[in-house]
Amino acid sequence: MAEHLKCLVLACGNPLRGDDGVGILLARFVEEWAAERRSDVKVIARMQWTPELAEDIAAAESVIFIDCAIDVAAGSIHVREVESGADAPPATHHLQPYELLAMTRDLFNRTPKRAMLFTVGAASVEMGEGLSAEVEAALPEARFKLEKALESCVD
Amino acid sequence: MTKTITIDPVTRLEGHGKITLELDKRGEVKTAHFHVTQVRGFEKFSEGRLFYEMPALMARICGICPVSHLIASAKACEAIMAVEIPHTAAQLRRMMNLAQMVQSHALSFFYLSSPDLLLGMDSEPTARHIFGVAASYPELGRAGIGLRRFGQHIIELLGEKRIHPGWIVPGGVTEPLSAEKRDEILKMIPEALAAVQLAIKSYKEITYRFEDEIAHFANFPSMFLGLINEDESVEFTDGALRLIDANGNVVADGITAKKFTEVMGEAVEPYSYTKFVYYKAFGYPEGCFRVGPLARLNIVKSMSTPLADAELRQFKQLENGPVRSSFHYHHARLIEMLHGVEKIEMILSDPLILDKHVRATAGVNRLEGAGQAEAPRGTLVHNYKVDENGKMTWANLMVATGLNNNAMNQGVLQAARFFVKDGKLSDGILNRIEAVIRTFDPCLSCSTHAFGKMPLLIELMDEDGLKVDEVRR
Repeated sequence: MAEHLKCLVLACGNPLRGDDGVGILLARFVEEWAAERRSDVKVIARMQWTPELAEDIAAAESVIFIDCAIDVAAGSIHVREVESGADAPPATHHLQPYELLAMTRDLFNRTPKRAMLFTVGAASVEMGEGLSAEVEAALPEARFKLEKALESCVD
Repeated sequence: MTKTITIDPVTRLEGHGKITLELDKRGEVKTAHFHVTQVRGFEKFSEGRLFYEMPALMARICGICPVSHLIASAKACEAIMAVEIPHTAAQLRRMMNLAQMVQSHALSFFYLSSPDLLLGMDSEPTARHIFGVAASYPELGRAGIGLRRFGQHIIELLGEKRIHPGWIVPGGVTEPLSAEKRDEILKMIPEALAAVQLAIKSYKEITYRFEDEIAHFANFPSMFLGLINEDESVEFTDGALRLIDANGNVVADGITAKKFTEVMGEAVEPYSYTKFVYYKAFGYPEGCFRVGPLARLNIVKSMSTPLADAELRQFKQLENGPVRSSFHYHHARLIEMLHGVEKIEMILSDPLILDKHVRATAGVNRLEGAGQAEAPRGTLVHNYKVDENGKMTWANLMVATGLNNNAMNQGVLQAARFFVKDGKLSDGILNRIEAVIRTFDPCLSCSTHAFGKMPLLIELMDEDGLKVDEVRR
């Protein structure tokens, strides 16, 4: 499959689980950002990352995964490069970025030149709508850093 | 000393279940049970809701087959309203149900069962999963994810959402189909056809490896139940139910949703929260039967589409009369996927498919209504009672997993008795016992979205209930 997309953004989260919804919120920001600049960016927001997304990843030059993280300080922003995992576990309803990259490699014999995981530390992912005060306060920084990450992919 | 072996949870299923095997003093399997350990409560908490909310509520039962619940529920509501829905709405619903069937069957075959079929029942368990298939059989892996996307994308185009679309409502559907969406679906047909034909070819090439599994995976005489059209072709959305016996003789025909609750009973066993549905005239458990792809193909004379009809003719040569081995559910599932892709193309050529009249409206005209449809894994019936204001006073759901419950339990016992020798276990043996359940593709509670990473725990208990051994993977 030939690549035909500069940047794919895969956001994950559930807006009914508190800070877990931050990925979906940032996906909307990316959609607006890309529309304003007419950038070659495709945004897919899901509650889980599933194997079918491998085909979209295979068509992209770069991919940014957006999610919340529960093992870091609430409101902290982390951006790191991701590589395909060598030993992927047998999950099929929801995959991690490194597993999706491994599946893309195995099925389509290619992976994006660049893959990043962008996370926002969550204070709570319990049932309920709305973000915590910590994550709400971190949104300007999140948008700023996400914009930088996008620019590094499309410019 | 007797022993009880517990497989908990059963992996690569939609939902949470466990299997227990009780061994006698000689180490032979005495009893086997498949336990469904969740309580959902949808029937109870729908009481007091307005009946027209039911389809959207009931769709939440399941993340894999919400469309079947939408259809059965909407039809129950339409029975309460006493309306007939417009032709175009019926065709659009049929298309969405077929799209769901294709994506659900693709999940069952490629994601859940193909690791056993392609990599082997005894292959290394840490590599026996969809990733292992993708690494060793990338072309089939691409076909699998392609068919999932095909079905999901059609559902999304019609209903705006891939999961739990709210488009199917009492009286029809909320929006007609646009020419742009029709053309987009038509463009996807050739690739989907090629993918399912590749899967069928590959499956036929490997079935010779599974003689023991074909012989002992729920391979017994039983009745079969499924929807059928008046011309004896396969049907998933409308038509009426036919029940045949193990030799293919018609036991009951023309079973409408309303009649279903009169002729079918529900039994309860202490080891499972899932009910056991049976044909009342024969009593319980003699009146139990099988539903789903194997049953549907055993019942029909035609698939009504050319490529699937050719495959059906070969399928019917597998045995003399109805196909009895549940291993062949896999084969039947593939043929139904082929039919689904072909039929969607046929529906899109209907000259009225873009018609704007897609919904009938009415209030409460009856105080009870029932609706039925074929979910990917078998027949599904919703039955509701309302008061004069349309508030739900009672609901009863009979789902495919309940209709197959007795057969799954019989199948586990049959396989365990053959594969477990002298109380000796191996991963391959346990995997085969789980794989019996996978042939039925039961949907225990997929809305939890929580399977796949759980450890498999096997416990050996002595007759006093004390744990004597434990194996994890």
